[in-house]
Amino acid sequence: MLIQQLTNGIAIGSVYALISLGLTMVYGILKILHVAHAGVYALGAYIGLFSFRLVGDFWLSLLFGMAGSALAGYLIEHFLYTPLLHLPRIAPLIVSIGLFTAMEEAFRIVAGPHTIAYNATVGLGDLSIGPFRLTETQILILLVTFIILIFLWAFLTKSRTGLAMRACAQDAETTSSFGVNVKAIIAINFLIGSAMAGAAGVLIGVYDNQVWPTMGSIPAYKALAIVVLGGLGNIPGTVLASIVVGLVETFFIGVLAIPFPRDAVAFVAMVLVLMFKPYGLLGKA
Amino acid sequence: MISGYLITVLITVIIYVILAHSLNIITGRAGQISLGHAAFFGIGAYTSALLYTKVGLPFWIDVPLAGVVAGIIGALLGIPCLRVRDDFLAITTMGINFVVEAVFLYIPFFGGAMGIGGINLPKWFGREMTKPEYFVLILLVLVGLLLLDYRLGRSWIGLAWNSIREDEQAAETMGVDVVRFKVLAFIMGSAIAGLAGGFYAHFLTFIMPQNFGFGQSIVILSMVVFGGIGTRWGPLVGAIILGVLPEIFRPIMEYRTLVYGVLLLGMMRFQPGGLLGPESFLMNLFRRSVFQPASKE
Amino acid sequence: MKRSVVLAGFLSVLLTFSFFMAVPVRAQETIKIGFFAPITGPAAADGMSAKHAVELGLKEVNDAGGIKGKKVELIIYDDRLNPQEAVAIANKLIEKDKVVGVVSGSYSGPTRVTAPIFQKAGMPMVAGYAVHPDVTWDPVQKKPNDFIFRNGFLGEVEGAAAAEFAVKNLKAKKISIISMDNDFGRAISSGFAARAEKLGSTILTKQMYKFPGEKDFRPYLTRIKEGNPDLIFAAGYYNEAASIVRQAKELGITSQILGEEGFDSPKFLEIAGPAAEGVIIATNLDRDDPRPLVQNFLKNYKKAYGEDADMVGASSYDAFMILVKAIEKAGTDPKAIQKALLETKDYNGLTGKISRFVQGEVVKPVQIQVVKEGKFRRMAVIDNPEVITPPLKQ
Repeated sequence: MLIQQLTNGIAIGSVYALISLGLTMVYGILKILHVAHAGVYALGAYIGLFSFRLVGDFWLSLLFGMAGSALAGYLIEHFLYTPLLHLPRIAPLIVSIGLFTAMEEAFRIVAGPHTIAYNATVGLGDLSIGPFRLTETQILILLVTFIILIFLWAFLTKSRTGLAMRACAQDAETTSSFGVNVKAIIAINFLIGSAMAGAAGVLIGVYDNQVWPTMGSIPAYKALAIVVLGGLGNIPGTVLASIVVGLVETFFIGVLAIPFPRDAVAFVAMVLVLMFKPYGLLGKA
Repeated sequence: MISGYLITVLITVIIYVILAHSLNIITGRAGQISLGHAAFFGIGAYTSALLYTKVGLPFWIDVPLAGVVAGIIGALLGIPCLRVRDDFLAITTMGINFVVEAVFLYIPFFGGAMGIGGINLPKWFGREMTKPEYFVLILLVLVGLLLLDYRLGRSWIGLAWNSIREDEQAAETMGVDVVRFKVLAFIMGSAIAGLAGGFYAHFLTFIMPQNFGFGQSIVILSMVVFGGIGTRWGPLVGAIILGVLPEIFRPIMEYRTLVYGVLLLGMMRFQPGGLLGPESFLMNLFRRSVFQPASKE
Repeated sequence: MKRSVVLAGFLSVLLTFSFFMAVPVRAQETIKIGFFAPITGPAAADGMSAKHAVELGLKEVNDAGGIKGKKVELIIYDDRLNPQEAVAIANKLIEKDKVVGVVSGSYSGPTRVTAPIFQKAGMPMVAGYAVHPDVTWDPVQKKPNDFIFRNGFLGEVEGAAAAEFAVKNLKAKKISIISMDNDFGRAISSGFAARAEKLGSTILTKQMYKFPGEKDFRPYLTRIKEGNPDLIFAAGYYNEAASIVRQAKELGITSQILGEEGFDSPKFLEIAGPAAEGVIIATNLDRDDPRPLVQNFLKNYKKAYGEDADMVGASSYDAFMILVKAIEKAGTDPKAIQKALLETKDYNGLTGKISRFVQGEVVKPVQIQVVKEGKFRRMAVIDNPEVITPPLKQ
């Protein structure tokens, strides 16, 4: 059963990673806490769901979800964040919170307050080895996350744009003086991060078979804790933190059977780690 | 004839005004982002409720004590908090909100999800206070707080806070003990929020952990932002408008929260100073239409 | 500073005006009944269900001529699952709208907060499905709120009935419990555990999950699977129920799943899909009840709203009808209505026949339904008086 719990933990941790990465990327480049990112995540789930109803193919719906989220992320950056960069940080943060609230309500008004079942057929099949089962949806999550992370890694380390993005995160002014179009880089950053959130939304929609208006509420806060835990702006740190949180949550419930509120794990972990490593697991000053 | 319903709304609004005012001290005056203010509201409410129901202390004692306890916890949580950077502060305050709410929710001593009930209105002159009398009471408290705020604003504490809000590092180099003043703001803000919690508990007669979660923190923050962070009257106006809004908007039930979110979003995007902020559209309108331009001759 | 004071004053005056503008004009001679439910907010699905069902009831009553010739007017409020709003609503209903009785289509939070207010004002309220004991009981003065009546089951009673069925009918010896960690969940799981153990079965594990919000039950279920129980008693509302049932199937769990009224919703069937087949629940709505009252309701609800009715809707409908019948019998004096409610005997309700009210709680049989071919069907009825009579509170 331990191995089963391990899979449970890594599966959920992977989804956390997909959501949190976008958040940490945005913070890295704009130093904004993009709370509305969770709204983008939920939007991806909804778009995925409705496009699945339309086209009937799960993989297409995943792509649509990612595309829709990417677009939303871009619009948010362009119309809401960039114009406010000259103000103290609390301004875009509050805009983000307001937007997130409005988005959740918009979902409720447009799609209804009820939970909607995704009911998608993925076509992968389960994997059973004795009493241990890797369910179809878990395989899906691990597969998609793996592919996306490989792409991300390749992009950031091997491509010029990726390199430029990392440079921007470190020092935007100097980077722009090198002729890099910082505005475009910021836009791409949001597009990628939001697309990943959209993917996470679709994956959760299928894993839990539920899409509902407030599905972003808990991820909104949990992703923030994970991002701080891993080190604000630090990409490998975020991935590590996500998996850790996923595993710890699962083990607390399934193995240790401690009646500890699952969603508090991320925050407690964050506080504990910050006491010894004030910049997060892998963060630097 | 003042109907019971109107009084209920008024009392709720005054409590929100006090809350918004208390947050304004932390966020507006001292410039510290606090996204978990409802936690202190809750600590005050629960302290008051527990002292009343379990220890049997009367309202007149348990409410001030609620303020004290909230203030102490504000200090305890504030001190480590304030050593961290802006963004960490925002997340940490959010985290505090969650932890406090979880404590109320999961530890049976606090009544759990069922909350605590049976908290009555205060007694005086041998009988229970009526709602209009309660309203006058908290109104007086509010006036007192506003006076206090006025005096503080003119004192060296107020000046220190101003300097910290404008430019923390500069203030530090000028010899202002930044941490000490930040903690002071935190203590004051949380103590007053705790007081508001006590008033709330005795008025609602029943409290639940969900009343004091992140959602509530956002409501309070919205009021401050909407009215104008850092202004004296802004949070008051923000709290009154946003507090009365759910009543006026009852006919348009479905869209209330949406309007809330859009208001917050729009306000911050286009009028970050709030309604009563120095550059706000409303102020400019007023300036032009109501007041004579200074240089008439 | 001076400018902002004037501005503040101006805004306040403006607001107060618009505030009074928003107060609706008094309608003509009707019988006004108040109703509140979480129509928007986190519980909007249930709020809407309650509202729809009660509106259906309203139409039926008014189409049949109203109460003794007078039309019934329903004053509907949205409490957004927020106790503060509920308090304001209660005061409004009493002072402004001047209703003669109230129906609660809401959860325990708002209902519980308003109960003392209605009690104090001598205003009868019938709660559809709110479960907290303090709705009908004043914990400080230790006496019943005798103006408040509850149509739904107390958690302990429903849990005990479920256990009765599990042990006596399903012969379950080893049982695992998983429940949401709120007032209802705790009440129903302790009620279940107490009765099951009394009847000789063993509770292997009892796990509580955070509510609301938990969607991933795999860690809990994996642990349950280890013990290989005969039966899993699961408590949750339809979202959690559907997730538990689906994920249990995914993980290859074969134990029988027994749920409660929270499972009683077409949404549960929709989200759980084929995994719902064979799941048994304890509830109050019997779809196979041959009485025309039940079959007509189910049919009319489906026709009017396009979805199947659920426990929340049925319970709220019943609460409304119970109040209407009392008004029919006693007139519009609240004290008389209360007396009529107290004297209820063998009331033929949609959600079962109510023998009587005990301290505001119903004594009525618990329905056991099973999911067969994607629909809820009758499986059994628990009417053992030892089980269904609510314990006396003191």
